[in-house]
Amino acid sequence: MLPEGRVPIYRRIAGDDILILKGRGISKGRGEGEVVLSESPVSFLGGVEPSTGNIAGREDGRSVKGKVFAFPQGKGSTVGSYVLLEMRRRGTLPAAIINSVAEPIVATGSVMARVPMVDRIDLGLLREGDLVVVDGDSGTVELPGVRENHVVSCVLMDGEKMLLLKRSSEVGTFRGYWASVSGFVEEDETPAETACKELQEEIGLDLMFEKEGRTVTVRDGCTVWHVHPYLFRATRPRVVIDWEHTEYSWVRPQDLKDFQTVPGLAGIVRDLL
Amino acid sequence: MFLTRDEEAMLAGEKGEGIRTAMELLVALGDIYEAKRLVPIVSAHLSGVSYKTIGEGGISFLQSLAKDAKVRVPTTLNPAGMDREKWKEMGISPRFADRQHLIIECYGKLGVDTDCSCTPYLGNNVPKKGQTLAWAESSALSFANSAIGARTNREGGPGALAAAIIGRTPEYGLHLDGNRTPGIVVEVEVEEVDYSLLGHAVGSSVGNRIPYFRGIRPTADQLKTLAAAMAAAGSVAMFHVEGVTPEADPLSIEGLERLHLGRAEVEAARNKLDRGRDPELIALGCPHLSVDEIRGLAAKLEGRKRKGDAEVWFCTSRHTAAKCPRELGVLSKFGKVVCDTCMIVTPIEERFRSTATNSGKACCYLPNLCSQKVVYRSTEGLLEMIS
Repeated sequence: MLPEGRVPIYRRIAGDDILILKGRGISKGRGEGEVVLSESPVSFLGGVEPSTGNIAGREDGRSVKGKVFAFPQGKGSTVGSYVLLEMRRRGTLPAAIINSVAEPIVATGSVMARVPMVDRIDLGLLREGDLVVVDGDSGTVELPGVRENHVVSCVLMDGEKMLLLKRSSEVGTFRGYWASVSGFVEEDETPAETACKELQEEIGLDLMFEKEGRTVTVRDGCTVWHVHPYLFRATRPRVVIDWEHTEYSWVRPQDLKDFQTVPGLAGIVRDLL
Repeated sequence: MFLTRDEEAMLAGEKGEGIRTAMELLVALGDIYEAKRLVPIVSAHLSGVSYKTIGEGGISFLQSLAKDAKVRVPTTLNPAGMDREKWKEMGISPRFADRQHLIIECYGKLGVDTDCSCTPYLGNNVPKKGQTLAWAESSALSFANSAIGARTNREGGPGALAAAIIGRTPEYGLHLDGNRTPGIVVEVEVEEVDYSLLGHAVGSSVGNRIPYFRGIRPTADQLKTLAAAMAAAGSVAMFHVEGVTPEADPLSIEGLERLHLGRAEVEAARNKLDRGRDPELIALGCPHLSVDEIRGLAAKLEGRKRKGDAEVWFCTSRHTAAKCPRELGVLSKFGKVVCDTCMIVTPIEERFRSTATNSGKACCYLPNLCSQKVVYRSTEGLLEMIS
């Protein structure tokens, strides 16, 4: 259904409609299905009923049979490896397993029972019910229908205060929300180039950034945003806004909570400062 | 992990499906632990033998492996779910016995020595200092690392089986010199040491550090008891005893944290483990009784009279049993001599509700794996219950 051998996520351009998460292959093979997500570690012995594939303690009585079972890591008795074999015999195996960090119990169980398995995946980017393809050979998880965007977030500080702009009704996303200077990274640009360009276009300032922050990846609906943060400083700058914003305000970072901001902004500012 | 051309070929399935599966298991484990390569092993010891633990899923897996794979190094087996000869006397159902025989038969086809015991180092699988092994069974592998100075990680059943089939294991953890040095010094300040209680107290408090004991001089049998109790209470896969174990180096403990272990800590362990009374089963031999231990028990019991109506088991290996028939004759007046199995891996929960033991290891597993109330006694305490 999907093309083989896609390039890893970090080389892909913005706007594609298949998100590919690059992890590490633990058990070979490809499996696809709906994601069943557990937020806590899973012990197959006692935690999953082999005759049905039902997860113990889940009120909705969901089964992992034929599904892609995503959980942080395995735990509990080493006999858990044999539970996966019993599930194979009874036809209740999951189509694939995704972990944050593989440990030996689930890893050996997956190899023995021939369940494709990938680890080192950020489970925060998955949602219950997502349709995904797990490739244990290439160590990837493909999410058809999820687009991926690279954007910059330029935090401009004047002393203790940062510039907050209200997004106009003419922009494509997050209309009416408060944000920093931001914009899409175009195909032929580096994020650093975009950051300086956006500062010039949106508020008319020609500045070099002081610091580049850690890229933050967040999922919002069917979009995954890779936000590249940049810190700029200026003293009493003359701010001229364009059509993308309706107003602006200088606020202390601790007061961000009083504004309806774009997702993740407070965390980005905290990390930069 | 780096693979040689030969290993790549095995992973690609060129040497058969069983070998491919085994190689996939080793690569998965090697990647998880960030091993750089595979290293040859001298022997393997496998857990995952009892029908009670591995079930039908385990049988299907072993049958598929046994189609075209064989172990490449001498390999021994952990206890099974029953005595292979006296299973009827143990109250085992014919169905269970049938499935258990099938499991052992599968291991036999794979080329594994089927003397089922947790003390292979007293039988057909005796490692030498410095040798590389892939052993499962936490008490045996800790004994091999500590008392012998051989090298093995704490393998699970499937990992050890895969290593046996390939003849290699991923090089990480206790295979590397730097990971075998002590992480905490345990100063034992008790006159008469109960090695089960000492092991339990230390195993529950040192985390993943390697303990270095001072102030004790255990015999080989006491090292066996200590290794088992510590491995069950925590994750201890290796320890040192000053002046006793081969890799204990007094120069290696400078600056380490010291844990003082006195009467109070030992009594706390006893109170934690000894939770029941009026045992329906009294079981000795976890780990399996050695020849010396059987002789010691026989010497104490000879001429005494059986008392009480609890069932009594003396668990050992067939290999050890064959060496002391006269002493076992004495023991059999007081209870059953049970081979190939032990009170943890056989389904005792179908017949008993409470079990008395002198084993720190059994105390840890009996409540959860066998739904037992546990009575803890020293060896002498158990003998007083039965004679």
